[in-house]
Amino acid sequence: MTASGPLHTGGCQCGATRFRISGAELEGSICHCRMCQKATGGLFGAFVAVDDVHLEWTRGAPSYFKSSSVARRGFCSACGTPLTFIWTKGRTAITAGCFDHPDELTFEYALATEHMHPATPGIAAVPAAPMFDTPEAEAAYRDMVSYQHPDHDTEGWP
Amino acid sequence: MNRIDKEVSGGCQCGAVRYHATQMLDNSHLCHCRMCQKAVGNIFAGLVAAPDDKLVWTRGRPAIWRSSEHVERGFCANCGTPLFYRDASNGRTNLTIGSLDDPGQFPPRANTGTEAQVKWFGTITSIEDGGATETDAEDWAAAISASNKQHPDHDTPDWQATGRQQ
Repeated sequence: MTASGPLHTGGCQCGATRFRISGAELEGSICHCRMCQKATGGLFGAFVAVDDVHLEWTRGAPSYFKSSSVARRGFCSACGTPLTFIWTKGRTAITAGCFDHPDELTFEYALATEHMHPATPGIAAVPAAPMFDTPEAEAAYRDMVSYQHPDHDTEGWP
Repeated sequence: MNRIDKEVSGGCQCGAVRYHATQMLDNSHLCHCRMCQKAVGNIFAGLVAAPDDKLVWTRGRPAIWRSSEHVERGFCANCGTPLFYRDASNGRTNLTIGSLDDPGQFPPRANTGTEAQVKWFGTITSIEDGGATETDAEDWAAAISASNKQHPDHDTPDWQATGRQQ
């Protein structure tokens, strides 16, 4: 486990569900299992676990899908953002991407590596490319008005 | 961007929403932009597009949240699985690679939106291997296996999705 800063905030894309973590030890892990892949629509799930006493839902609360008898997965019912993985009493794993500052997170171990997506070992070497293939699309992105909640707590939203 | 003749199925974790495409585009990529990160709760979104004229929703329909005026984000309202990114102006739906029944057939060809790429992106595969679930946590793996509510990685004629909890 890694001792970490006193405060972390985050939430879903639309901002209906927000959390705050205070004074917790964070335990980061990457899970390559097929259930984490599918739950996040991703190549793997990246999670940071904390004891529930340090976790507060400051706006809204997740909805849950019980993916098996031993685990449930929280998400925002308004925008779909995967938020949590809960497998044991008193502890919650939160998806790395919904932290306001995922750069601050660290990861101690990887799980279910036998199910790793075949492309994952090489992803860092995949070349960078522009996001858009036409000037019009690029201009539309530049001028976009984002409806995503900002990466910090807000008094009221939207 | 070229079309590839390929039969592809996929859907959400609970199986309430399923799709099938008869062509795909050769644009598989990992998008690191902050909006994709947050939409999928992950450090990047793995995406590959189907042309809209070759994509059908075979069970249920995705819920949609519009993350900006131009972009729709599709997800399952019952289990939350992020299903797609869609720019309404270009006729293609970028499906999340993890929602494909066979995600391994679309290796990413590009990293995009790298301005928001987490600085530890390059370390992901060197993180200490915590071992296989089946050997390190045998009881746990058996319990999941016996009660797994995830839709199987193939189309099914009938399926009863387990309902969400508030």
